[in-house]
Amino acid sequence: MKVRRAGGVTATERGRALALIVLLCLLMLAAISAVALGTTTMPFSTIISAIFQYDGSRNHLLVTTIRLPRVIAALLAGSALAVSGAIMQAVTNNPLASPGLLGINAGAAFAVVMAMTFFGTGTSDVYLLYAFLGAGTAALVVFTLGSLGAIGHSPLGLVLAGAIVATFLTSLTTAVLIFDESTLDAVRLWTAGSVTGRTMVQARTVAPALLVGLVAAFLVGRHLTTLSLGADASRTLGQNPIVWRGASVVVVILLAGSAVALAGPIGFVGLVVPHVVRMLVGIDYRWVLPFCALGGALLVVVSDMAGRLVFGSQSFPVGVTVALVGAPFFLYLAHTRLKGAA
Amino acid sequence: MIRLLIALSLSLALLVLASLAFGDVSLTWMELYHSLGSTDQQSSMIVHDLRLPRVLLALLVGVALATAGTVTLAIMRNPLAEPGVLGINSGAAVTVMAVIVLVRDPPVALLQAAGFCGAAAMALAVFTLAGRGGTSSLRIILIGIGLSSLATAGTTFLSAFGEIGNVQRAMIWLAGSVYDASMVKVRLLALWLIVPLTLAFSSARELDLIRFGDSTAKSLGQPADRIRGLMIVLVTVLSGAAVAVSGLIGFVGLVAPHIARRLVGASHARILPVAALVGACLVVAADLLGRIILPPIQLPAGIVTGLVGAPFFAYLLWGRRHGR
Repeated sequence: MKVRRAGGVTATERGRALALIVLLCLLMLAAISAVALGTTTMPFSTIISAIFQYDGSRNHLLVTTIRLPRVIAALLAGSALAVSGAIMQAVTNNPLASPGLLGINAGAAFAVVMAMTFFGTGTSDVYLLYAFLGAGTAALVVFTLGSLGAIGHSPLGLVLAGAIVATFLTSLTTAVLIFDESTLDAVRLWTAGSVTGRTMVQARTVAPALLVGLVAAFLVGRHLTTLSLGADASRTLGQNPIVWRGASVVVVILLAGSAVALAGPIGFVGLVVPHVVRMLVGIDYRWVLPFCALGGALLVVVSDMAGRLVFGSQSFPVGVTVALVGAPFFLYLAHTRLKGAA
Repeated sequence: MIRLLIALSLSLALLVLASLAFGDVSLTWMELYHSLGSTDQQSSMIVHDLRLPRVLLALLVGVALATAGTVTLAIMRNPLAEPGVLGINSGAAVTVMAVIVLVRDPPVALLQAAGFCGAAAMALAVFTLAGRGGTSSLRIILIGIGLSSLATAGTTFLSAFGEIGNVQRAMIWLAGSVYDASMVKVRLLALWLIVPLTLAFSSARELDLIRFGDSTAKSLGQPADRIRGLMIVLVTVLSGAAVAVSGLIGFVGLVAPHIARRLVGASHARILPVAALVGACLVVAADLLGRIILPPIQLPAGIVTGLVGAPFFAYLLWGRRHGR
């Protein structure tokens, strides 16, 4: 681990800033190629004119109604999931934590499945609403339960509460799906995590909550570093861990709730991207969060594009390709970087 | 401690008797007593051939899962660590899902073999990848996450594009149940579990040590890496067998050790037996409830452990005040 010198811009900081800019360029490149490539390949000029001088031609229609919304959904979901995963791991001080630990994925899946069972199969607009409500409710229950009692003063309370609520909801969901084949059939692509057929309206619906969440995440970033040292260290350093844990949980609900509403429960991004980032740039969360935001977005955009191009199917779930693309890299890093680590 | 063990054993015995008595055809206690002795009536057929193997299987699976969970919790030093961290669940899930979706009408034995092989292969892969340069718990956890997510991607892919009837059948198997029990299976599982269980129970002291962290354990003369390797093998053998016979009964391996620790403190000589009993009670109770909540539908035990075990665990943690 590199020691950070106090004050001034160190060489490592300049390196990190440079790496961040390179990552941003890569992301832009990936996003543009994701819009350009596909069954019809489009030149860059067509994309630009489709956005700024829309003329209703077939190509312009394709860009504005299918490819662009899809890429934007992937961008938003990827960055939100990665950032919220980093926050969860800092808050709980646990490498196994992810937004799913807050009951986000289980709550969203439960709400969507229930809505389908009782009100029939709806459009993806409807799923969006239920998923967000389910995720938010579950996360609030987890947080309340996790802060109660003597155990609530340590991250252990949150961790166990999350495991309890997520298990309970997942069991209920599975119980419904085992007996209801039509709902299983309707929901299984959603549960895999997918950005197929997302519309601009949907992206615009969740974008405000998500962007507010991102800004708030960067604001609490400094406190996360302290929080990630554990409750005792954080209290010794004059931080009130409970207040900042609460604030972080609200941010995670905004971020991961919107991401799951938009793209379904993708588990991999929130769990793995923060680890990759920490292995590469260290444990300072002021740097970890922006790297996570860009890295997560890059991973999801590239994976979705790879799913479309390699498997030739528009509906190939990005939840699968994300792991196929990201896991080998992650394993390589974990294998080589962590040699002597305890 | 003694009182607690007696209380737990009594409630386990009660649960076992209740499982023998209740079901689609409920027996009175007198009928149960008579049918246990004789072998010629219809009721004794129900008890001996259907319910007894099932209860015993649930009991053994509970013991195996809880012991494996306790050991994992100790060697990983992470409150979220359960055998699934080693990739056991995701490995079994992907092989079983593949067999059900790709093979036409697979026999049950093939599913069980596939489950065990998947679990063992995954644990082996995690261990070998993490093994070089010391098996630190963070390395194992991270490698486990990486390999598991690959396997889960495979499962998700199969479940998203497989034939819907097959996918549903796979989900039922994966949800974890003991409905397909026979006395042969019970005996096999019991034989299989004897060695790893004995080893696990006799290494309580080593688990106490390794919980303090690698450097402390090493400075106290423990070969921490070797012990962790041995323990991982134990966990794989225990929970791999449980997964093979019953599918993925989750939550027991996570919760039983936490409950045991709340009840008897941090020493593993106390935790291990209590956790094993708690695990057995949980799975037996879950199977019983799954049979009698919504007859004639049988809810898989793995779902009931989540539905009943989760609120119960929450009650234990937050419902009342503990001195310990």
